[in-house]
Amino acid sequence: MDRPIFHFALAALVALLLPFFIRSGTLATEVLVFAIAAAGCNLLLGYTGLLSFGQGIFFGLGSYTLGLALIHTTLPLLPTLVLAMIVGSVVAIVIGALSIRRQGVYFVMLTLAFAQLFYFLAYTFSDITGGDNGLIGIPRRGIGPLALNSSWSYYGFVAVIFLISFAALQRIATSTFGRTLLAIRYNGERAQAIGFPVRAFKIAAFAVSGAVTGLAGALHALLIGIAPLSDIDYHMSESLLVMTIIGGTGNLFGSVLGAAFYLIVSDTLSAIWPRWLLLLGALLIVLALFIQKGIWGLIESGVGIVRGRRGGPDAMAPGVSGSERP
Amino acid sequence: MKGALLSTDGLGVRYGSFTALSEVSLSIGANTIHSVIGPNGAGKTTLFHALTGRVRPSAGRIDFNGHDITALTDDRRVRRGLARSFQVTSLFHRLSVRENLRLAAQGRTPWQALKMWQPAERNQDATAIADSILERLELTRVAGRSAEELSHGQQRRLEVGMAMASRPLLILLDEPTSGMGIDDIATMKRLIADLGRDHTVLFIEHNMGIVMDISDRVTVMQSGRKLVEGAPGEIRDNPEVRRAYLGSMMTGGRA
Repeated sequence: MDRPIFHFALAALVALLLPFFIRSGTLATEVLVFAIAAAGCNLLLGYTGLLSFGQGIFFGLGSYTLGLALIHTTLPLLPTLVLAMIVGSVVAIVIGALSIRRQGVYFVMLTLAFAQLFYFLAYTFSDITGGDNGLIGIPRRGIGPLALNSSWSYYGFVAVIFLISFAALQRIATSTFGRTLLAIRYNGERAQAIGFPVRAFKIAAFAVSGAVTGLAGALHALLIGIAPLSDIDYHMSESLLVMTIIGGTGNLFGSVLGAAFYLIVSDTLSAIWPRWLLLLGALLIVLALFIQKGIWGLIESGVGIVRGRRGGPDAMAPGVSGSERP
Repeated sequence: MKGALLSTDGLGVRYGSFTALSEVSLSIGANTIHSVIGPNGAGKTTLFHALTGRVRPSAGRIDFNGHDITALTDDRRVRRGLARSFQVTSLFHRLSVRENLRLAAQGRTPWQALKMWQPAERNQDATAIADSILERLELTRVAGRSAEELSHGQQRRLEVGMAMASRPLLILLDEPTSGMGIDDIATMKRLIADLGRDHTVLFIEHNMGIVMDISDRVTVMQSGRKLVEGAPGEIRDNPEVRRAYLGSMMTGGRA
């Protein structure tokens, strides 16, 4: 149950099955886009123990970078996505390096302050960003002979990128680097005492998270054809954190579940009642109170109980799997 | 006396207006076992914090292995060959015992751990060191368990193992036997004596039996200052030390 290949298979299954359960290609694509961003958030929150409100900044900058590049240049699509990752990563390194100078509440406050700062920058420089209206008229360029005009062909494209990103993040999470991040999350003081320059590792985690989140932001702008101001709003950071926590921190597939759950439930509730956010709020309270390990934790304990009845060995034993709460 | 591996000159630490440590000049000979004793609040742990770089000294200098390390951060000092254990056990509780030691072994070459593409187990140096320490600490049997599941005595041994894993020249142990039962104390005593064969050991200890039996040198501290220093026998018979300790604790050491 903890093997990376198993989790990757689950992620592939989600990408494969979503079209059969969701009629809207846009919603299905959105699930995968936000799954990428939530996984990027998870690397900071679940693996490094950093609650960052900066995620919306990286997401929004990814959107703007892609929009500006496609509108003003003739750059092909793939280099544009790489550019969005670089911008997200560089800004994440700067914001990360400044924010981790403080710990706990003050760290969170710093990232929140940066989120507000970048939101108002985007709002103020409307000549570049389109301000309130967003950056409109982003052309969806194909890749070579592949046109991405229909919503389902674009879904296929995003699905491939989603799986590549997921595999890459898995590899990073199980690497020497990822395991060091986990050590920092559990006991930063000891990590420093045994010789790790903890700050440098946190900044590196920001760099990866910023790149992945910037990529997701770019894919989102390409999906809806505009780079909206809401992509860089601090509510974006909030949504990404909520998805990550709902899914279960410290587990990358949990982020996929969290994003899917958040978006599909929001979509369903909004069709039933205009004040649906109220219901979502109530749902979050229930999750925070009773299901702290998130959906993935719930599944794990479910499997544990079933195996326990059959007398399976160590079904509930804690391990590196990351079913731990933050 | 052999050449000094670590020496301090006029070392002082102030916390605001409180002077925790002042004018401490030490010389720790290479391949010796050197203990630091003294009543609570004497500044022993503060001395360790200053030596390992956890707190910045407000006065004096520290030389280690021929270099001035006064301004180095704690992680850099590990790379120079200085490692410590903590008085209050500080492990990665949720991680396995083997993973705790693998991380500690990796800490000697931390920049290699930035390799995002290399699976952790691929670093065979670190895993081999972890395995050899597991064996030496008699923890191989519980290597796969998470650190929080160990008994107190086992956790204290692992705590020392974490310091051993970076293959230090000098190993600093802060009350390695704190909270231990009698049987565990005997094991720990053997371990420290054994460490003295291929490391230089500096340790803080309240158990006089251990201090008197295995130390080459003993430094007695009181109120942030060095009171006296000498061989265990000299310390035992020193009237000043006896006064500082009210006599009561100095009766141990019959092993």
